[in-house]
Amino acid sequence: MNSRFPLFRKRDLLVFLLAAVLAGVGFWQWIPKSGAPVAVIEQDGQEVRRVELDSIVQPETLILEGEISVTVLLEPGQVSIIHSDCPDQICVNTGTLTRPGQCAVCLPARVAVRIVGKIESGVDGMTG
Amino acid sequence: MKSSAKFVAFTGILAALAVVLSLLENLLPPVPGMPPGAKLGLSNIVSMYAAGCVGFFPAMAVALVKGLFAFLTRGITAGLMSTAGGLFSTLIVWLLLKKLRFGLLGASAAGALAHNAAQLMIACLLTSSAVLYYAPILVLLGTASGILTGLVLGVLLPPLEKLQRR
Repeated sequence: MNSRFPLFRKRDLLVFLLAAVLAGVGFWQWIPKSGAPVAVIEQDGQEVRRVELDSIVQPETLILEGEISVTVLLEPGQVSIIHSDCPDQICVNTGTLTRPGQCAVCLPARVAVRIVGKIESGVDGMTG
Repeated sequence: MKSSAKFVAFTGILAALAVVLSLLENLLPPVPGMPPGAKLGLSNIVSMYAAGCVGFFPAMAVALVKGLFAFLTRGITAGLMSTAGGLFSTLIVWLLLKKLRFGLLGASAAGALAHNAAQLMIACLLTSSAVLYYAPILVLLGTASGILTGLVLGVLLPPLEKLQRR
């Protein structure tokens, strides 16, 4: 093989080590968080709606108008993107979100739906 | 490369090759369950070759042309993401390959990771930090595709270098 660029050098392991650490840290974030699921719907980086999923009684569709319109379906305990005018449909194919940490993103429409865990008590801590 | 015209023409050919490869890649049907931004990165073979064997500026020019093409065919979002990803990954590959003497596999994997990182940053700015959800899969897939493109380049390099010497 050519001598100018060897296929592998020992220092390449640094890159793979970095990748392993990054992936490990990332997957750690996927572990479902405790707390009641709260859906956060964002468009163009702005929060449009925040709903506690367990408090929903009637299913509700939310249409986010824009250059590319997206329809979000809020149901008791779950949320999903059911329609998008975007070409790739990645957000629709993501399916239904139920647990904190999950999310569905439509990049062309700049819409993100994610679920966060609501902290149970209203107070974080007290002193004194 | 003797004359500058030849040099520019050669860079142009590389840019065209990168564009065609990314176009072909987009024709592949999306694999279900794959997050957005996960790609084979075939055109990274060209970017790496340009960064390693032609030079820093030609390699950056190839990345820019590729970004411009994405901008024209797939819109602003895709164009921004492709440009940022291409420039950053080319910079990293050039640094690792030419300055820090990494092997092809390491440089290629780092380039793929840099590409994903820059794309995620843009996606983050445009939508919300929720896109970081995809980061761990992108890291794994990026490393895998980086190793693959590095292997391909390892096979292609010897005959390519022979060609270039003419």
